[in-house]
Amino acid sequence: MALILDNLSKRFGGVVASENVNITVPKGKITGLIGPNGAGKTTIVNMITGMLAVSGGTIRVDDTDITRAPADQICRAGLARTFQNIRILPENSVLDNILIGFHRHERCSTLSALLGLPASRRETAAMRARAEALLERFGMRHLAEYPAGGLSYGHQRRVEMMRALASEPEYILLDEPIAGMNDVESDALAVLFRDLADSGIGILLIEHNLRFVTRLCQHIYVLDGGRLIAEGAPEAVLSDPAVLTAYVGGEHA
Amino acid sequence: MMNLLLGYQPLLDLFLLHLGLAYAQWLVLRAGVFSLGTVGLAAVGAYTGGILVVTYGLPAPLALIASALSGGLVALALSVPLARLRGIYQAIATVAFIQIVLSLNIYATNVTGGAQGITGIPKTVGTPLLLLAGAATIYLMYAITHSRLGRAFDAIRQNEAVAASLGVSIVRHQTLAFVLSGALAGVYGALEAFHSYALVPSQFGFPYLIAILSYVVFGGRTSLWGPIVGTAVLILLPEVVRPLADARMLVFGILLILTINFLPKGIADTLIERARGRRLGARRPAEADTAKGS
Repeated sequence: MALILDNLSKRFGGVVASENVNITVPKGKITGLIGPNGAGKTTIVNMITGMLAVSGGTIRVDDTDITRAPADQICRAGLARTFQNIRILPENSVLDNILIGFHRHERCSTLSALLGLPASRRETAAMRARAEALLERFGMRHLAEYPAGGLSYGHQRRVEMMRALASEPEYILLDEPIAGMNDVESDALAVLFRDLADSGIGILLIEHNLRFVTRLCQHIYVLDGGRLIAEGAPEAVLSDPAVLTAYVGGEHA
Repeated sequence: MMNLLLGYQPLLDLFLLHLGLAYAQWLVLRAGVFSLGTVGLAAVGAYTGGILVVTYGLPAPLALIASALSGGLVALALSVPLARLRGIYQAIATVAFIQIVLSLNIYATNVTGGAQGITGIPKTVGTPLLLLAGAATIYLMYAITHSRLGRAFDAIRQNEAVAASLGVSIVRHQTLAFVLSGALAGVYGALEAFHSYALVPSQFGFPYLIAILSYVVFGGRTSLWGPIVGTAVLILLPEVVRPLADARMLVFGILLILTINFLPKGIADTLIERARGRRLGARRPAEADTAKGS
């Protein structure tokens, strides 16, 4: 049971953005994907999440093929994501931002939602209670009523995280989750990510910060020029000459 | 006292009729569909109702149901090309749709009565029925707002990528919003027909479109109060300040320019936001945060 990218490729005309990328994200573990700027990390993320058409290869979530599925079906297959540049719903309150995350689990019929029948009202109340529990867990209960657009950067990141978790995913894709955070904030998130993995969620962590990735991941993939140039345990990968060349320039550079 | 109230009854009727169309417009905007086609769909409903009652002698309640269906169905057909468009292109396409409806009303003389329009529609709709319709409409909008549909509409309007990443089907929800809005516009078009004895083709034209859009922009696009406040102010103002009545469109224009510049979210939405700010103690979230931490 895993999120599996099999020979995934993307070409923009003649430009190869990724070529034959094979990545496996097992449940209950944090898998790292690193690479210098322009290595093609975002292309991979966009292909997995259905925002970019795949040129070749397949993507599977457990036994479901999501290679050509639209973004909303990918979420329903059990894959959630956060965005590299924060995307919250700025006009809505923090609580409402998290409520929308439960969309995948809302079952009441369209008719009862339209007419405001008891089924719809019960569902809304139940989702609210679950959103409040999430806020409690993230220590943001006191901010529930605030408009999300006015929150600090770190808080907005956490709102995004809660929203993704609300969909109760099997797998979660974190696209540079600690960008712009200080050490205290990122340490707190590291603890949280480990908790999530321990609860059985498979995490794909796309990150710039090598120290952060080495600390959290058991298995790392390194991308450069659209190809995987190394994979394995963090220590082994980071001492790989090819990786050093890609990151800091080789001895001939 | 009674006489005074009776004197204002036509104004109340006008308010209720326009309020319904304002909500139809509000609903699509809420779901992030930039449609201006509400009056076109109202025209479809009005003509369906008028023709069924006058030409085919159908009872008004049945014709009203048919009007809702016709508005919804035409909206459903229109939603197919609209789903491929965004923003200003949707606006242009829906204005073109209004032109098509207007032309059909004028040139399909056999069915629509052409430039003469439809006359002799029995008046079956009065103030009590309009009040009932208004209450039902507001309840329906309230129910949608507080359901999973309202939450999905909010998410799509603010960020489609986020909505999709959380499993919200954009096409499904926008189509639903547009069809509901079309059915609502159809109903209110028919109510207008059954309220006013006659239909003329130019009735559902550009000035009407601007008026309906003004109610929503002026009142507020996201809160339930927006259409009520916008419609009430813009309809009452020219009547209360009598000399302004002749310059209705001028007043609309000036008020719109002022609103867009100084209260871009509309009167109701801005006031609600300010009230919320005060309730939260007028402090920034960051300060609330440190206050809790210390």
